[in-house]
Amino acid sequence: MIIYKEWLKTRWVLLGILLVLGAITFYCFLNLSKVVEIRGAELLWEALVGKDTVLTEILRYLPVAAGVLLSAAQFVPEVAQKRLKLTLHLPYPQGRMLLDLVLYGLGVLSVLFLLQAVVAGAILSRWVVWELVARILRTMAVWYLAGWAAYLFTAAICLEPTWKMRALEALVAAGLFVLLFKSPIPEAYNGFFPFLLVYVLLSVSLLYYGVARFKEGKQD
Amino acid sequence: MRMKLTGKIFLWASVLLLVLWVLPWLYQLISLKGYSSPFTLYSCTVHDFTALNRDGGKELRFLDRNGNPHGEEAQPTFYASVLASKGTLPDTLEGRKVTLEEIERNSVIATSDPKDVNRTKAPVYLLMESVPVRLELQDPEEALVSRRDGIYIYRLADNALLQGKTDSLNTALRALDFAFPAKLFAGNPSHRKEYDEGWLVTDARDRVFQIKQTAGVVSVRPFPATADLGVSFLLVTEFENHATLAYMTGRDGFLYMLRPDGEVIRTEVPFDARREDLLVVGDLFYYTVKVSTGTGERFYALRSEDFSLVDTMERAYPQGFSLPGIRFTSQDDSWVKLRLRGLRD
Repeated sequence: MIIYKEWLKTRWVLLGILLVLGAITFYCFLNLSKVVEIRGAELLWEALVGKDTVLTEILRYLPVAAGVLLSAAQFVPEVAQKRLKLTLHLPYPQGRMLLDLVLYGLGVLSVLFLLQAVVAGAILSRWVVWELVARILRTMAVWYLAGWAAYLFTAAICLEPTWKMRALEALVAAGLFVLLFKSPIPEAYNGFFPFLLVYVLLSVSLLYYGVARFKEGKQD
Repeated sequence: MRMKLTGKIFLWASVLLLVLWVLPWLYQLISLKGYSSPFTLYSCTVHDFTALNRDGGKELRFLDRNGNPHGEEAQPTFYASVLASKGTLPDTLEGRKVTLEEIERNSVIATSDPKDVNRTKAPVYLLMESVPVRLELQDPEEALVSRRDGIYIYRLADNALLQGKTDSLNTALRALDFAFPAKLFAGNPSHRKEYDEGWLVTDARDRVFQIKQTAGVVSVRPFPATADLGVSFLLVTEFENHATLAYMTGRDGFLYMLRPDGEVIRTEVPFDARREDLLVVGDLFYYTVKVSTGTGERFYALRSEDFSLVDTMERAYPQGFSLPGIRFTSQDDSWVKLRLRGLRD
């Protein structure tokens, strides 16, 4: 039921994200296919092996934008229209309710990211060997993680009742994004990725912290 | 309740990490003083290390270790074309007749940076044709792909596995007792060089082999002299004078020279490619090898003929103070990960 409510709330934003994500992904691979057509696939191999590129850098910040937009579509109305109190008073465990909201968002984002990764992998594997495709996908995984982080931190900032704590959370989020986009070198995050994943997943607790403070009546 | 506490701890722990990351970085940014190490070469005329410095704050001069100033004549091979254009290039150096062409042909420069060694590389290596149909080397059209059970050859244009070539290569490798998977690949797949030596590869037992394509045929050559070295670093040189095929380091931590005929020469230069920068500037008579870290640099003068040690010198960098904290990147590798920043970083 709550999932359906979230779907109704976010479907138009989701459609927009899907269209933009699809259009830019299409543009990216159209460009690459033109390069292959005009100058040959050799150029892609040379760039992937000899330069610090994965050829899909144009897609780098899309997951973050998708995460922020979806999260805002889900949580800004809850706060702005003062619906959060109502949502929390539904006959359903509050912790479970919040988890369902987050799982809906992360799930939808994951489907979008997976779709993009599958399309990217399928197209790239026509031009280069699997080892290079895997290198690109491993590099893109950090961008997707940044998308999750953007979703969770936007939600946390929305649900936090005071501006002082919101600013603090925004500062932490800014630091995290600087870290996640610090290196453009392919596979630079391979060893660190599991730790970043755990950190981003732990940031779900910020939402509970914000809601608890809201229930305690904290406000500016 | 538990999640609320987790959220609180998460937030303040994140703020603490942010402070530990940003404050030392800011401090370093504000307090950083630039230091430029003077360009230093061993001189075949002064027979000492000479460093390019400002003489009394005026013009740039080569100063030897006693502080005596020298002009371009202290480095006649490095400035050979300049001296030749002035008509002051000596016709005899180190007791032998020399020509500009001979000096230029024997000038070599090689570098290695830990950032290039410590990075995640794709196991894909572009394979050139070493004897091109046209006079000049062409861009690679095939690639070696290293996998656990062998090395595969793919055509770049259509991403097609060249089964016949792959089978021939792996049969040749197995016949030479090559232990898969291959560990290190070193090569320069660029047409901007004089000639192509293909790829030097170490097998799972750290022995060096050469894989090279000649007239469309991929061949393998073993280097038995490398069998017991435990090679952990390879740098293919491809110099015009063919003096060396590659530089290597062994498990004993010293720099080795691999000659084109397979001879291996151990130098007296300790070098750790994972932590230290290497700069080799060589001429007809001497190689100046500079090994540097964040704290200083060591210079070694080697005789070009046999790489025997002639002289050494050390120079320490001025050390600053830094706030302890954390950082995520390093000058010594290309990975992002959590690391502690010490007082001297």
